[in-house]
Amino acid sequence: MISELLINAFLVTIMLSIAIALIRTRTVIFTVILTSAYSLVAALMFITLDAVDVAFTEASVGAGISTILFLAAMAYLPKKEEESISSEFVPALSCIILGGILIWCSYDLPEIGQLTAPIHQHIAPEYIKGSKEDIGIPNIVTSVLASYRGYDTFGETIVVFTAGVAVLALLQKNPAKKNKSQPKQKIRENA
Amino acid sequence: MISSTIGIWNYWIVFCLMMIGLFLVIGRKNFLKKIVGLTIFQTSVFLLYITFGKIKGGTPPILNESIDSIYSNPLPHVLILTAIVVGVATTALGLSLVLKINKEYGSIEEDDISAQDLVDYHDDIETRKSVDLKFKQ
Repeated sequence: MISELLINAFLVTIMLSIAIALIRTRTVIFTVILTSAYSLVAALMFITLDAVDVAFTEASVGAGISTILFLAAMAYLPKKEEESISSEFVPALSCIILGGILIWCSYDLPEIGQLTAPIHQHIAPEYIKGSKEDIGIPNIVTSVLASYRGYDTFGETIVVFTAGVAVLALLQKNPAKKNKSQPKQKIRENA
Repeated sequence: MISSTIGIWNYWIVFCLMMIGLFLVIGRKNFLKKIVGLTIFQTSVFLLYITFGKIKGGTPPILNESIDSIYSNPLPHVLILTAIVVGVATTALGLSLVLKINKEYGSIEEDDISAQDLVDYHDDIETRKSVDLKFKQ
C-alpha cells in the first residue's frame, strides 16, 4: 500500500523538477517539449491514482493535441523569449505567500486514500451501485459522463464548439483589413 | 510520521506546481509562456482532484465480478475528463489570440506591446492637436 504512495510521491517530484526547468528555460522549443513531458508524467500519475480514463485522455489530448497546437503556433512566433525589463520580485513573492497559505491549509485535508474522507460519502456510492442496474455499462466513468451527467457533457460540447468558432474567426484571412494596419506600421518605424 | 508525510506530500507538491503555473502567468511577459503557465496550472488542479478521488487499495472504477472490490471515486474522473477537453479548447483560443497579436505588433512581449501602444497614443494626441489647430485657423 505504501509503495503505491511512494511511486506517486516520486512521479509528482519529477513533475516539480520539470516545472522548475520550465521557469528557467528561455527557448521556445524547450518550453513546448517540457510542457509535453509534464503532461505525460501527469498521465502516468493518473494511472497510479486509478483514473485510467483520465490518463489516456490526458496522454492523447493534453500531451498530444496541445503539443501539436503549440508547435504549429511556434512556427509563426519568435524563437527566443526576451529577458523582461520589469522586476519579477512582486509576482514571485505573492506566489510564494499564496503557496505557503495553501500548504498551511493542507493539514486540514484528509490524507490520501482514506475511505472515510467526505468526498467518498456523498453521491459516488450511488453512482457505483446504480451503474450496472440503471444503465448497464461496466465502466462507471462512462455511465456518469454520458447518462447521469449528460447535460454537463452537452455543455462541454458547446464550449468546445464556441472555442472552435472563435479560433476560426480570429485566424481567417481578411484582405480588406490588411491595408488598415499598414499606416500603424509606418508610424512605429518613424518613432 | 513518514506515512502521514507521504499522505499529504502530493498536496504540497501540487500546490507548488500551481504556484509555478501562476508565476508563469503573472510574472513572465512572454505571451506563449503565459499560456504554458496556464496549462501547468490546469494540469496541477486536475492532479489535485484525482488525488481526492483515490482510495487506498481501490481499483479503477470499472465493474468486475468480485463482490468485495473497492472502486476509487468516479466523480472527479468525470469532471476532469470534461476539464481536459475544455482546457485544450482554451489553449487553442489563446494561441490564436497570440498569433493575431504577433501579426499586429510584430512581437509577443508584453513590454514591447505596451511601449508601442504608448507611442501610438502620443501620435494620436499629436494628430488631434494639429487637426484642432487647422480648424482654428
